[in-house]
Amino acid sequence: MTELDVRGLPPPEPFEQIMQVLETLPSAGTLRVLIHREPYPLYEVLYETGYHCLTTALPDGNFSLLIRHVS
Amino acid sequence: MSIAQLSTEQAPPISIPLRFFAAAPLFLLLAALSLATGTGDPFTDTRSPALLAATHCITLGFLTLVMMGAIEQILPVVIGSPMPTHTVRYTLLPMLAGTLALSAGFLLSNPALFNAAWLLLGFAGLVFIGACLFSLARAGAKNPTKIALLLSVISFAATLALGALLARGYAAGLPLDYPKLAASHISLGLGGWVMILIAGVSYQVVPMFQLTPNYPRWVTTGLTPVLFFSLLANIATHWLDAPTLATMSTGVFCAAVLCFALITLRLQTQRRRRVADATLSFFRSAMLSLLCAALLTLAAIYTPLKDYFHILAVVIFVLGFALAVIFGMLYKIVPFLVWFHLFRGGGKKGVPNIKEIIPEVWLWRHLWLHRCTVLAALLASVWPPALWLIIAGLALQGVLLGYALHTGISVYRRTLRRLAT
Repeated sequence: MTELDVRGLPPPEPFEQIMQVLETLPSAGTLRVLIHREPYPLYEVLYETGYHCLTTALPDGNFSLLIRHVS
Repeated sequence: MSIAQLSTEQAPPISIPLRFFAAAPLFLLLAALSLATGTGDPFTDTRSPALLAATHCITLGFLTLVMMGAIEQILPVVIGSPMPTHTVRYTLLPMLAGTLALSAGFLLSNPALFNAAWLLLGFAGLVFIGACLFSLARAGAKNPTKIALLLSVISFAATLALGALLARGYAAGLPLDYPKLAASHISLGLGGWVMILIAGVSYQVVPMFQLTPNYPRWVTTGLTPVLFFSLLANIATHWLDAPTLATMSTGVFCAAVLCFALITLRLQTQRRRRVADATLSFFRSAMLSLLCAALLTLAAIYTPLKDYFHILAVVIFVLGFALAVIFGMLYKIVPFLVWFHLFRGGGKKGVPNIKEIIPEVWLWRHLWLHRCTVLAALLASVWPPALWLIIAGLALQGVLLGYALHTGISVYRRTLRRLAT
């Protein structure tokens, strides 16, 4: 699993970094992202580009995203 | 949360919010022109036609237009429920025409213009408020911003209804209690529509763009209902003889406002990245002005200079607080929307850096121009010739903001064309 920590970065840096890593993600791979906000605009772009995202709110106020290709 | 829970078309087309945003700066210029036509001191003659025209250019033409565009953007993104399609078609032009008719009606004391204004603004308001309530009712999400949106839209509806009644009354010479109606209209417009919406949107925008911790839960759940119900109680005292309730409701409302301003300033000291940011500085100026406005309102209760402090509080609230928040939000959100829609449309290659969409140096110039205009407003309360500095400040801010926003839109169009070839 590929991991990416974008906590504390100003918009749109988290978005840019996530999309950059996804370009090199193997088709069966999963990207786990730690982020300080729920990234609403990202969901739509992921959906359009063929990804599935599962978001979990963490107890410390951050969010964990699990992103993978729609099989 | 899975993306399956979200609609595939969450964000509206960029043209919808940008049409509202791009038209709004014109009204700052018109407000300056209206003030320039006036005679006498607006701080002593608060019902002068020039002041009423200028006030409505700022509150209706500038603030309300931007807030309507922002709601079009926020509803789908934060609440997950877009406004019905074509709402913009039936709201933007009637709002523009209605605001122009109303301001001209004040300046020319023309009944036909007042009649045109209340019909146009009433129609635009009905469509917009109906569309908002429909979107809020069908939204699955439950969050404090949704509550704030609902309370502010209800306040907007009541503000418009009272405003339409006043305009109809002026046009037809109806025997109405104009001072009480006007006081309720102003309280609902500024304390409800503007204050509650800004608070609710700040819960999202401040942590997201200024990288602060979230607002405490007791603030996000309790603040906007306290603001709304203390405002309603205060408006009731305009019509009932209840001085104790008037003092209590004013005190509660001002305490809630002070709480919001102080917590926002505190959150900003805890932000993750401590780099200079003009939009953050706009917000800080806004919160300091909000503190002043609340303290002046409280001072009005206990001093013999009640009317003077009230007028000064309203001036600082509108010019110092509301305008600064809107400027800060526009300079943050417009580049983000341009960047996001270009990225979505064509991928990363060829999309300009977000900081190049509106040059940062203009934001800093605008910030200092804005601060000088607020200081001029304070000065004008004791030295009337300073009114000309306010006029110049408003006009220059309208030109600068309009130029900056149209630069952002030009970048979008140019890049889109380049990506398409």
